[in-house]
Formats: sequence, structure tokens, C-alpha cells
Amino acid sequence: MAQLFRPGANSIAVAVIVALFAAPVAAVALTYALWDSPYATDQNLTRAQPVPFSHAHHVGDLGLDCRMCHTGVEQAASAGIPSTHICMTCHSKIWTNARMLAPVRASYASGKPLHWQRVNRVPDYVFFDHSIHVAKGIGCSVCHGPVQKMALMRQAQPLTMGWCLECHRHPQKYIRPQDDVFDMYWRTPFDQPEQGARLVRQYLIHTDHLTDCSICHR
Amino acid sequence: MPSLKPQSDLDRRVALKLLATAMAATMARCSRPEEEIVPYAKMPEGLVAGEPMRFATTLALSGYGRGFVGISIDGRPIKIEGNPKHPFSLGATDIFAEAEVMSLYDPDRSTAIRHDEAIATWDAFSADWGQATRAQNGHGLALVTNRVVSPTTLARIAAFKNRYPSMRWYRYEPVHDDAARAGARLAFGRVVTSLPRWSEADVVLSLGADPLGHGPDELRMARAYASRRVLGAKRQRIHAAEAVWTLTGAAADFRIPTTPAVIVEIARAVANACGANLGSPQIPEDAEHFVERASRELMAARGKALVLAGESQPAEVHAICHWINAQLGAPVDHLPSQDAVENDHAFELVALADDLHAHRFRSVIVADANPVYDAPDSLHLADGIASVPFSAHIGLYCDETAMACHWHLPLSHALESWGDSRALDGTASIVQPLIQTLYPTRTRDEYLAWLVGEDVAKAYDLVRKTWQSNVPGDFEANWRKALNDGVIANTAATPLALSLKRPADLPRAATPRGMSLAMSPDPSVWDGRFANNAWLQECSEPFTKQVWGNAIRIAPGDAERLGIADEDTVDVEIDGKTITAPAISMPGQADGVIGLHWGQGRLRAGRIGTGVGARVCGIGAHPLARLLDGAVLRKSARSVPFRSTQAHTRLEGRAEDIFQIATLNELGHANAGTGRRPPSLLPVPPKGDYAWAMVVDTDACIGCNACVVACQAENNVPVVGPEEISQGRDMHWLRVDAYTRPHGYIERRGFQPVPCMHCEYAPCEPVCPVEASVHDHEGLNVQVYNRCIGTRFCEANCPYKVRRFNWFDYSGDQAYAGEGEALKAQHNPDVSARGRGVMEKCNYCLQRISRARKAAEKENRKIAEGEMITACQAACPTRAIHFGDLNRTDSDVSNLRKAPQHYVLLEELNTRPRTTYLKRVFNSDDQG
Repeated sequence: MAQLFRPGANSIAVAVIVALFAAPVAAVALTYALWDSPYATDQNLTRAQPVPFSHAHHVGDLGLDCRMCHTGVEQAASAGIPSTHICMTCHSKIWTNARMLAPVRASYASGKPLHWQRVNRVPDYVFFDHSIHVAKGIGCSVCHGPVQKMALMRQAQPLTMGWCLECHRHPQKYIRPQDDVFDMYWRTPFDQPEQGARLVRQYLIHTDHLTDCSICHR
Repeated sequence: MPSLKPQSDLDRRVALKLLATAMAATMARCSRPEEEIVPYAKMPEGLVAGEPMRFATTLALSGYGRGFVGISIDGRPIKIEGNPKHPFSLGATDIFAEAEVMSLYDPDRSTAIRHDEAIATWDAFSADWGQATRAQNGHGLALVTNRVVSPTTLARIAAFKNRYPSMRWYRYEPVHDDAARAGARLAFGRVVTSLPRWSEADVVLSLGADPLGHGPDELRMARAYASRRVLGAKRQRIHAAEAVWTLTGAAADFRIPTTPAVIVEIARAVANACGANLGSPQIPEDAEHFVERASRELMAARGKALVLAGESQPAEVHAICHWINAQLGAPVDHLPSQDAVENDHAFELVALADDLHAHRFRSVIVADANPVYDAPDSLHLADGIASVPFSAHIGLYCDETAMACHWHLPLSHALESWGDSRALDGTASIVQPLIQTLYPTRTRDEYLAWLVGEDVAKAYDLVRKTWQSNVPGDFEANWRKALNDGVIANTAATPLALSLKRPADLPRAATPRGMSLAMSPDPSVWDGRFANNAWLQECSEPFTKQVWGNAIRIAPGDAERLGIADEDTVDVEIDGKTITAPAISMPGQADGVIGLHWGQGRLRAGRIGTGVGARVCGIGAHPLARLLDGAVLRKSARSVPFRSTQAHTRLEGRAEDIFQIATLNELGHANAGTGRRPPSLLPVPPKGDYAWAMVVDTDACIGCNACVVACQAENNVPVVGPEEISQGRDMHWLRVDAYTRPHGYIERRGFQPVPCMHCEYAPCEPVCPVEASVHDHEGLNVQVYNRCIGTRFCEANCPYKVRRFNWFDYSGDQAYAGEGEALKAQHNPDVSARGRGVMEKCNYCLQRISRARKAAEKENRKIAEGEMITACQAACPTRAIHFGDLNRTDSDVSNLRKAPQHYVLLEELNTRPRTTYLKRVFNSDDQG
């Protein structure tokens, strides 16, 4: 009887058997990797806006405070996107004829709002509140990144639940003095472990509660 | 994609298509949709995006205004709360006020001018109206309204009369007070509004009256009632004689079911005890003890005793009650009536019908009234109105009257209108809009101004004009204060000093032929005007727990005699007219009396209310009657389903453990729970800064359902509709269970609001395979919607049956009657709208706790006692719901947990609920 299998068949069989075990594991691993990758989280994604508003210019070059435009950030859940009237506070005096500001002027004249593309987004079932984070010493740059360097706004962090929980579990790693919350150039000091722990106590942050589901979901 | 609706029949081809679509979809990346942020072009002053704003406003019930506070988020009104500064709200709400936000967004509201059903234009209406009233001084012109007490509307009607001097104004209110008015005329020679100062009474006798039932005075009365639910000698003793169950009867210590004729005799007996000599009363044997005890206690409590007569009693009984109250020195204020018309309501409606059939009119304007529905068929109002050449209806809906009229003009909702109103005592308040009109509508005042040619009149200017001439001092400052406070200072009437006539004889009531019909407004949809409000249709009747319909309530004796079982469909025939509805027997109802609610059976209410229940007001010769004789009851050939929310879970004879009652004497040595804390196999619950707990006082609860609708509004609780209710799928996070407890020869009834118990050892938690039901550090048993996979194990394992499952997408595409899209505007943005296949339940208004916690943490302090108020607690007119922190030993809930009447629901299960109860307490015969 002739040989049914050629000599290489053994190697193929071994490869197939290994692949049978490896492929599902690899698939799961790939899924997990993709899940957290910028591809799925939109991290670093820059979106086109109706007006190419530059935080790099307004914050980095001019040094405007965040609260100049995001007026709700200390009082409300939403930091607030500025109304056209806030834009026109300055732009009725400077760059009054700039072509790139035409949509702003049109909105001011017509009363019809500008339609911005949302960059930082958490799902609807997450009830994130800016005001409490700002009040408890979590700086803007922790989540929004170096906004003063972004010509167009991009999502600086993955904004996944795991990323949120990292800080909710260890706020001492990220907390800063309340006076420095709006400082875009704040750097983690060398004594952050001690300072962070002290600030957590000083601001009466109760870490046991911070990982309750009901803190963010309701 | 084909629809996923349950009614679609999914055949093989569609199933394969769906499968293929799903497989193809998995290939593509499921990317998140792009989202836009649309800020204001010009931000309103003082607005912070996403933060609630509160505006004082006024909502009317039967014409009388009650002051409330409307909550608006990003310009959308989402919730009504009470206004503590208004004497007829006192910080509480009722179901009708709570449900007004639902009415505002009702997609069935009328949105356009119509002429003979077709959409028309202002110009066409204007031309037709000019034609109709040309060269006339109003001869042959009629204006029909409900009760009007608004000073601005009265001024507009005066201007209307000025322009058309010969016009005739008919005003009637379906839930009227004709008997009380006639009684006041007999007693004082004039119409007055009598307002009892209930909290000052030690002994109250109600003769068929229902002061704790729904109505413009309910919230004030309920608060006063609750103030006397103390344990001890200061406790009020309430006696009630009534034919059918009312909320007041359920609240009474001593209640006797009697026919209306016997109530007249009881009035006679009590009057005689005060020295009236009205002939010997004919009291049946079983009522003698009741009458003797009530008379004795009333006499003993002179100066602090009160007798109240109900609207179904004849005028003479009202007059005799005024006389008895005068003899007793009862705490009652007699105030001038705010009702501007001297004639009685039923009289006016009959006069309107007579004048219509005599063809006295060439034009009729019906302003915000629905006489075609309200009047009995014998008046033939629809034909009468149709025979008038020019007829126009102004209303929120294209209703039955709009059908009969040629023209229909859409009315603005109260939450979109400027206006004003007065409460029963004359306290004036401003109706302040929370939103611009959603549709091109106008207010009643604007229409009336427009009809006399004031073309540009805006309601805002009309209201200001009224008060500019009425308010002394700096008008702008007073105006702002009135808007801020929700009341106009010093507008309440002062009590009148009246001379009382000695009562004439009290006529003997004739023996009724057949059975009597006792009719009252529906406790959910009132006189029918709220029939298209889905929240109210799904808000259960207090005693039968019926939803989406009305029932024929009969005494068990009659049911047995006629062989009628519960939920059998029966016909009530009276004067050749028939009402068909399911029957339900009510232990504690008088034999020979049939109880019926009017307000259902609307022919043209909208997609929610049309055809629900049976129309009751169509029968009889006398319009708006409360009592009719000569009814015949028989089983019907038709079948109408009885839909109720309480029969879903059976009690297995354990009512006395679950709804605990005690007499005042028993309480001294009562056992406040076993006090034992047996060990549990479940993990020890986490401890945190707060330990939230609720104590529900069933002794104060009057069963008004305000908490249920408040919870629904606050927590985006969807409406499921009658078919789903029939399958036991109600969604209310907070339900009010009704209990019947036979006690000797009398029936005792009580109400028990049941939210989630937030058990410390929660049976729902260990059975959840995905940890969607978990505890947080403040003691809340929370439901994580995004983890929930819908096994419903938790629901099965919950001994209190408080968990609710979304069998369909009730909040979205599969919302009942397709109302989902319109109601998105009403949704509270602080609360998730739950999707299909997800379990949900009460979470102690987690969003409010979160808001309070953040406010406190920003100030580096703890949440203060009384700072965190749940929606049900805020609504409750009797303050029966207490909420607070058990970690504070001095908090309200901590103290109540030590009270002698405190008990734990199903304590033997060792679930350690955070929601606990206070027993219903009754006075007894023998206490000192």
C-alpha cells in the first residue's frame, strides 16, 4: 500500500493542532487589545469642527482661563460649551473680519447656534459631573490632556470605565491642590505620594465609596 | 430593518433576513455615532446648562388655583413640586398637579385652528367671527366656560360683555358644589365658601363628605389631618357615615356604611342632640351605637367639634350642618365665594341646553370646557350646539365639544401660559410659564381679548394690567415678589360674620326606588379632563387598585343577592340608559348603593383616553347629579376586563402581618419588632458615611397616590398600557397597596406605600448571575442597568415584589400608544431611560442623593438632616414618608424606628429592610 501521507504531513498536523489551541486564545487576546486600543476608544481622534477653534492659540498663546468660556465647570455636571455671545465678547473687537470666523458671525446675526462635534464623550448612562471633580482637586489636564498644545481638540484619554476607575481607586496619584486645578502646566511633583495622600484627607475624599456603581450610574 | 414590535408576525423569511443582517453587522466595526454639541447662541441669564431651575406657578383644579413650583432643566419643564408658601399646596402636590408635565407634552394636544375638522387659518376664523357678530351688540351670543375665578379672565369676560352687552355667559363646573351652595343659601341667605380648620377639631363627623379626597382643598386638609395623627390624648377622633368608600372614610376611626337616606337621619339625630327638635330620627339598629357615640363625643368636644356634609347630601343637610357647627362652635371659616356667578352649576347647564334648543343663539363660544361630554345625553347638547350657525371651541384637545362646533381654537397649556388664579380662600397667584408655547396656541385670556378686537394683547400684559390696578405700592417690586413667592400677598379673603337662620324642617328622604347610584369624580382622571394623561390612567383607584377604566362598585350583600362575582361585567340600567363595566364588590359599602366614578368613557380624548371605561355622566335627567335612584343591576352579555395592579401577588391570608394595625390602647405595650438580629449567610453589607433609610407612616397615609405619580415623573417610569397591566407587568417603582381588615362588624381599610425595601441582606443580590444588583456604601441596593441581562431571578427572589422588568422598550420605540418620542422632552435628564430586557426598581431617588452629596462635599460638610428629600416624600400631603440617615442618632428616621408603632415588613425573613413602617392606629371605643 502506498503512503497516504507525505513526510511533511506530521509537521502540518502539529501546526494545525497548535493552531486549534492558539487561534481562540489569540483571537481573545486580540479582541482585548483592540477593545482598549485607540482604534476602539477614539483616543487621540481629532474631529473637524465648523470653526477650527484652537485651544493652542487661546490657552497656550493668550493664556485664557478655562472658566472664561466653560462657565458651568464649577457649578454643574456639564462644563458647558460657550454660547456664540461669549465668542463675540472678544471677536466683536478683534479679528472682526476673519474668514474663519464667518460661521460665528452668522450665528450671532441669525441667533442660530453653532453645531460643534463632540470630542470627549462618555456614554449616556455615565453621569459624570465636572463640578465635583474640579472642587476636589482634579485638574482639567488630567482628563483633557495638554489642551494648550492642541491646535484642534482631540480626545486625550481613552475614557473607558477602567481608566475612570484607576483614578477612583487611587485618587492620591492624580489629585492636586485646588488652586492648581485650572493650571494647564501643572506637573506631578516629586512628593506626589505624600502630597496626594494629604490632599485626599484634606478634601475629605472617601475612597471606599468612589468605586460604588451608584457614584456614576443611576 | 423590519419592526421588532411584538405584534409583528415573524415568519421564516424575515427571520432569515434578520439573521443575515446581524451576521453582516458583526463584520463591520460598531462605531459610536458622532454626536453634536449645540450650545446657545445667546445663553439666557442665570441659566447653567443641565442644572434645574425652579419657577413658582399656579395650576388649577376645578377652576381654583393651587400654587406649585415647576422644575425646568435646559428650558424643559420636567417636574412639578409643591410650593410651601401657597396655603393650598403647603409644599405638597397631588396626582393632577404632578401629571401636568405629561399633559404639556401630550402629542394628542390640539395644535392648529380647525374649521369643520380641517386645518384652517386665523384669517378665515377672523372673517367668520366678524361675519357672525357684525352689526350686533351680542344678541344671540353665548359664552360657555367652566368655573372662572381668575381675576384676569373675569376682567376679559367683563370686557367681552362690554363689547357685546346682550351676550349671555354660562358657567358650570362638572365637579360642582351646588348642594353646598344651596345649603349656605338656606343657612346664611347667601353663597359662602366654608373652609374647616381641621387641625383645630378634636372630633370630626363626616356625613358623606370627603375632605381628604381629591379636590382643590385636599392638600390643605390632608396636612391638617396629619398634624393630628399624634399618639395620645390630642389625637383626633373621626367618625364617618357614608354610602361608598371615600379616602376620608378610610381615614376614620369609626365608620358606618349607610344609604344616603340614613345619613339624613343621622344629621337629624345629631341636630336633635344639639337641641334642634326636628322630629324623631329613624336610625336603623346597626347605626344606633355609631350615632350615639358620635353625638356624645361631639357634644363633649364643644368648640373643637366639626360636622361636614358631603356633596351628595341635599341642601337641607348642609344647612343643618352649618347650624350644628354654629351650636358646637366648630372651627370653620365662612368666606365669600370666589365663584363669580350666582346661579348654580347644574342650573346653568340646563339653561344653556334650553336656550340652545329654543334657537336663541346665532353664535356660541365654548372656552376651555367640554359640555358635550359633561352633560347627560337627555340634554342633547351636541345637537343643540351643532344647530348654531357660528360655534367655536377653545380647548387643549379636539374633544367631544370641538366635534360639535364648527371652529376649534387650540389652547395653551398652563405651563406655557401667563395668567392668574385664586385659591378657595381667595389667595391670588400668578400662572407663570415655564416654556414658550410648543405649538401656535394662545391662552384663554388672549382669545377673549382677541374676540373683542384687542388684536395684539399678550397674556403677560393682560395679567400685569389686572394687577397694576389692584396692587398698592411699587408695582414692579411687588410683581417680582409675587412671581418669586408664587402668591400675591394679602389677597386671602377675611372670614365673614354671618347671621345664621334656624333650620327649617329636615325633609324625610323618600325610600329610593331600585338601587341608588352614588357618583363621584374619578380619583385618577377627575371629571374627564385628564383622561388622555397616561400617567393618570395608569394611576390606580385607591380601593380597587383598578387602572385604565372604572368599575361598578357594589356591596357584597348585593353581589351575593344578584349572583355577581368580582370582575363580572354588569349593566346598570337607569331611565333606559345603560352603563356597562366590570363589577367589584366592596366590603364596607352600603347595601342598595352602587358606586360609580365619572370621567371615563371619553369618546374623543385622544389615543390614551378614548374609549377607556364607561361614561357615567351621560345618564339621568339631572346634569352633574351625585345621586340617582331607580337603578337596576344585571349581568351583562358583554365582557369588559377589570384591570388592577394589586391582585398580581396573593397574600395567602397574611395581611395582618403585612399591614399592621393597632388601637391606641394596644400601643402602650406593643412590641416594636422582635428586636432579634439572627445571623445571616449573606455577606455583611458595606458601611459608609450615610445609612439611608425610609420610614413610611401608614397612619398618616390617606392613599391619595401623589407619591406614585411623583415617582413616575422623577424617575422616568414608563407607562405600559392596559394590555401589559393585565399580564401583571406594571412598572411603578412605588405602589400603594390597599388593605381591608374586617374588625368586628366594621371594615377597616388602610394604605401602604411600598417602594424598594433596600434590604441590608437583600435576597435579590446573591441570585444575580452578573452582579447587576449590588449594594453601595450608603446602604442602597442599586440596580446596574448596563450589567443586567434580564434573568429576572432577582424579581423572583424579592419577597416584597418591588422589582419591575422592561418586557418591551417601554421608554422608547415600543412606548404605549407611540408616546415615546414626545415624552422624551419630559424625561428627567439625571435618570437613565431603561431599555428593553432590563430590571429596574426604586433607588431612593439616587440622583437626588447624588446632587445633595455633591453640594455638601463642595462645602466640605455632611448632608444635613432634611436636606435630602425623595420625590415621593416631597409630594406627600400628609408627610407620611420620612427619609434620612440612620447613622445620625438624632435623625427623624432614627427616632421613628424607636416609636412604639414601628414595624418591619416580613421581619421574619431577616432581610433587614431600610424601608420600615409605622402601624395604622385607630382610636377605640373605650379609651379615656
